[in-house]
Amino acid sequence: MRALELRDEDRERIRELEELSTKAEEGDKDARRKLRVALRESSPGVVKRCSDIASGYRGVLAKTASARNPLLQEALEERMEGMRDEIAGDNPTPLEVLLTERIVSCWMLVELLEALNTGYYVRDTDRKRLDPRYFMQMVKILDSAYRRYIASIQALARVRKLQAGTPGIQYNTQINLS
Amino acid sequence: MALEKRNGNLYYYRSERRGDEIRKVYVGSGEIARLAHEQDEQRRAEEEAERGRAQDEVERMEALVAPALEIGEAAEVLERAHLIATGYRRYQRHWRREREST
Repeated sequence: MRALELRDEDRERIRELEELSTKAEEGDKDARRKLRVALRESSPGVVKRCSDIASGYRGVLAKTASARNPLLQEALEERMEGMRDEIAGDNPTPLEVLLTERIVSCWMLVELLEALNTGYYVRDTDRKRLDPRYFMQMVKILDSAYRRYIASIQALARVRKLQAGTPGIQYNTQINLS
Repeated sequence: MALEKRNGNLYYYRSERRGDEIRKVYVGSGEIARLAHEQDEQRRAEEEAERGRAQDEVERMEALVAPALEIGEAAEVLERAHLIATGYRRYQRHWRREREST
C-alpha cells in the first residue's frame, strides 16, 4: 500500500508542526507565530495529501469488504461519500475535512475488521479452533481501531465546539424530593 | 513424539505434559506405531498450516490498519497545531482558551 502513505516532505511538514506546537505550548510566543505561518503554508497541502490517501484507502477497504463484488463495492463507496458529505457539512474548514476523512475511514475499517473477526470466529466452529493467541491479536487490532474511531469523532466535535467559541453546555438539574 | 526402532521392531511414544512434568507415553508397536506416527505428523502439519494462515490474517489486518494510523497521526498533529495557533492550551487533557493570546 505504498500509494497510501504520506510522502517524506509531508512527514517533514507534520514533524515541523509538531515541534512548533510543543514549543508554543511551552510558552514560546515566537514559536506560536511561526506555527501560524507554518499552518497557513503547510496545512492545505498536508490536508490535500491526507484526503487523497483517505480516498484511496476507502476504496481499498470497500474492495476488501465487498470481496471484490463490484456492486457491493460501489454501494459501500457511495455510503462513505454520503457519510463524508453529511459529517463535513457546508463549508468545512480544511481541518474539518481532514477530521471527517479520518472518521469515515475509521468507520469503514472498524466495520471491516468486525466482519473479518466474526468470519474467523464463525468459521472456527466448523473446523479446529483457532489458536487463541492469534484471535487475541485480531481482537486487539479491532479494539485499537475502534478506539481511534471514537477519538476521531471526539476530535471533530472538539474542534467544532472550540471553533464556534461557545462555552460547553452545562445542565444543572435540581430535584426536590420533599 | 518419537518413532523408535529396536531389534527390527517399531515402537511409537508420545510426549505428554502433566503440569511441569513431561512424560513419555507408549502408543503401540509395529503397524500401529507407524499409523499413529503418520497421523500425528499430519495433524502437526495441519496445525502448522493453520498457524501460518492465522499469522497471514493478522498481518493482513495490520496492513489494512496502517493507512488509518498515518491519517490519524497527521490529523492529531494538525488539530493540536490548529488549536494552539488559535490561542488554546491543553490543561489536564482539556483544551482551554488562554487568557492572553497573541
